[in-house]
Amino acid sequence: MASISSETSPERGDGAMRIFRRVAREPLVHFLLIGAVLFVGLESFQAMRRPVVRIDAQDLEQLANYWQIQMQRPPNKDELKHIIDDRIDEELMAREALRLGLDKGDMIIRRRLAQKMAFATDDTAQADEPTDAQLKAYYSKTADRYAAASRVSFQQAFFSGDRPNGGAQKAAAQAMERAEEDGRADPAGDPFIFPLAYQDVSVQDLLRDYGAAFVKTVSTAPLGAWAGPVVTPYGFHLVKVTARSAPTQASFESVRPQVRDAYLADRRAEANAAFLKSLHKRYRVIVAGVPDS
Amino acid sequence: MERKVGRRTAQILASAALVGVLGAAGAAPGQGQKPPAAPAKSAAPVPAKSAHLASWNPDRNAYFGDLHVHTMLSFDAYIFNVRATPDDAYRFARGEAIGHANGMNIRLAGGPLDFTAVTDHSEYMGAMREANDPSRPLHNSPLVQGLFSPDPAAISAAFNKIVGLSQANQMPKDFSAPDVAGRAWKEVQEAAARNNDPGRFTTFVAYEYTSAPDGRNLHRNVIFRTPKVPELPYTALVSSDPENLWKTMDQWRAKGIDVLAIPHNSNGSDGLMFETTRRDGTPMDKAYAELRMRNEPLVEITQIKGTSEVHPSLAPNDEWANFEIMERYIGSNKQVTKFHGSYVREALKDGILMREQKGFNPFKMGFIGSSDTHNAAPGSVEERNYFSKVGRSDGTAAQRGSVPPGGAKTWPAVVPDSNQALAPFQAWGASGLAGVWAEENSREAIFAALRRKETFATSGPRIRVRFFAGYDFPDDLAKRADLVKTAYAKGVPMGGDLRPSAGKAPKFLIWGLRDPNSGYLQRAQIVKGWVENGKAREQVFDVACSDKLALNKTTWRCPDNGAGVNLATCEPDRFKGDVELRTLWTDPTFKPKQRAFYYVRILENPSCRWSTWDALRNGTPPNPTLAKTIMERAWSSPIWYEPTA
Repeated sequence: MASISSETSPERGDGAMRIFRRVAREPLVHFLLIGAVLFVGLESFQAMRRPVVRIDAQDLEQLANYWQIQMQRPPNKDELKHIIDDRIDEELMAREALRLGLDKGDMIIRRRLAQKMAFATDDTAQADEPTDAQLKAYYSKTADRYAAASRVSFQQAFFSGDRPNGGAQKAAAQAMERAEEDGRADPAGDPFIFPLAYQDVSVQDLLRDYGAAFVKTVSTAPLGAWAGPVVTPYGFHLVKVTARSAPTQASFESVRPQVRDAYLADRRAEANAAFLKSLHKRYRVIVAGVPDS
Repeated sequence: MERKVGRRTAQILASAALVGVLGAAGAAPGQGQKPPAAPAKSAAPVPAKSAHLASWNPDRNAYFGDLHVHTMLSFDAYIFNVRATPDDAYRFARGEAIGHANGMNIRLAGGPLDFTAVTDHSEYMGAMREANDPSRPLHNSPLVQGLFSPDPAAISAAFNKIVGLSQANQMPKDFSAPDVAGRAWKEVQEAAARNNDPGRFTTFVAYEYTSAPDGRNLHRNVIFRTPKVPELPYTALVSSDPENLWKTMDQWRAKGIDVLAIPHNSNGSDGLMFETTRRDGTPMDKAYAELRMRNEPLVEITQIKGTSEVHPSLAPNDEWANFEIMERYIGSNKQVTKFHGSYVREALKDGILMREQKGFNPFKMGFIGSSDTHNAAPGSVEERNYFSKVGRSDGTAAQRGSVPPGGAKTWPAVVPDSNQALAPFQAWGASGLAGVWAEENSREAIFAALRRKETFATSGPRIRVRFFAGYDFPDDLAKRADLVKTAYAKGVPMGGDLRPSAGKAPKFLIWGLRDPNSGYLQRAQIVKGWVENGKAREQVFDVACSDKLALNKTTWRCPDNGAGVNLATCEPDRFKGDVELRTLWTDPTFKPKQRAFYYVRILENPSCRWSTWDALRNGTPPNPTLAKTIMERAWSSPIWYEPTA
């Protein structure tokens, strides 16, 4: 270019030519020129590498499907263009919002992310199948979960609290006296909606239906003899306990599946807690008004 | 004197059970967990000598349960922020504490139930959970936008959106995809299997068929006898006509799948539940009535969304008809306009009239109550321990309108009328429990009781009701210790048919026992319906009075026993009411040729309504537009007198 220029203006060219040559030899000019070229080049390169918003075939199909579900027919060409334009605009706004950091401090976004993280960690925290030894150890540690309440069989005579003039307590006491005098005859009381004879009933059920005083009596009364009267919300009762079984413990074998479920649930909870703990280690948590720990 | 002792015992019993009931701080134990250990399952050896369970009683025991329970698998419960699983529901029924959507712990005050069925909506079962799970395809649905907010206004909008789309048949098909429903249905079955514990606690595999043409409620709970169930529930998305459900149930039965359906909330059906034509408008016939009764022997007459026994406008001579009445559509604020066809007593009357005139009775139903909890909290119908039923939408007293708005200490001069209020929660009642008489606590025995209608309903308290009818009962039956054996031998229990009379009037044994955690009993009644001159009529007879009061046999009313409640403490008056009411009654109006039905209603002394308890705990006066007290009650299934076989 310089040579062409010198050829087209030979008369006036000499002085300018000299200046040009001198300037062209300056290292500073070299530096600036290279810089300018690099700048222009980088600019155009970056323009070519703008972030891409891509709506692929699958997205298009999904968009059209959702539209169809709500409208009960496929979109026409114009509608499809609108749907796609809307989707693009939404994406652009969302990207720009992210770039500007608008997601920061947004409770809904934070919750959603935390939820996604929780789902992700829950999946990875699948524990290995426990061995029998592990399960047995866990079973003995949690044995009380596999115990059943003690059970009792008994007969009862009931004296309704509705008897006039406080007659129930007196009638019950008299019946008790007679029963003590003559061990063979059973005392006769009032009809009762609850059974007058129970076979092998759990004391838990009795606690719910009669209350603590009644349970205490059937749990401690001597076997085979009438005891009472004991008062309940219904009236007065005499009871004759015929059999009592201590609380029973289910064998490991009989509850192995439940032990396994509980063991795995425990492991999962532990894994989740451990993950949170590891997160706590990776961050310093500062809460206003709480000393930094 | 013994009454005093008895009361104190009752209070101790109650307060012992109340420990740690509500609002306990801290994490919800096991909330939304995968099956926690189901401990002590049949741990004790069952004696090998007999085929029966230990509790087997030939005179039958009363068992209490809840056959209407929703968990996170129901689309609406999930939207209400409920995350409790079917396992959680069964744990709650067995007396354990679970978490409420509001973060508090909830627990039954009255002790464990004996049986429970989890009945999640079959429509979109399990879909909401998957829609909220980023790893599931359903999560990408645009419908998910704003669907799972913890904000009550957004919850309400989300609920309306789904119900609206569903009614317009515009829900995306992937919300009812078989694989989605299949996963949830499997979970329902597994939880029922895991928690069934013969002799102690019975579960049933079940679901709710959610049909509501034009919003008029035709919901039914479908209960299976054994683990043998269809691959997927038959849903209202396939057909909203219950007749098609019953036909499907017949087909299931032919394949050995035993099942029954229990309709509920006829009060929100706007006359549709017991209309006297078929759903398509054609007349009913004998085959229709048989199909219906084969599949629907029972009706749920009371639950949190109101009581459907009777409406005051239908029974002007029943002073106790105005009990927890809800006059709206289900899930919306639309007012019900047709009470006829919406209430059970009227349906029973229509039924015997049709039997008389056309030879068939499509409405020969026994009664149960159940909660319809959407908190996975079976039996949570206790007035003083009430947290309503739709998760974050009505979990606080303020949301339920039982305390002054905005944290005020007094009510404004003009309180919005509860019936017109935006939220219907004030009009809901803490009501609905199922009772059955069964030989033992097992699926077989309890399902058999449901099938033969030897069932009763209560408004929450565990009132025990026995009811028998026969011609040859000895006059001293009510005083005999062997009265139950004699009554079974010489008569029929609730749910049964009296054979034609040879001239004698039938005698009825009516017997109720109070719940020690609730009030004393005030009166026992017989509700009779009969056909006379081509018309169905009704009368309410008091048959047993408390406090040794004399029954007026002209008006058939007991004198008022004067029992009241101290509204500042909710403490009932002392020494009023009876532990039990028991009598043998002969119908003085009996005519051998008149077709009739009889059922028992037992009323407690008045006690504080849940809204009054809410106000008491809040230190504010009760809402002036709401009833301050209620009379808790129990209803037996009817006995029918069939003059021609």
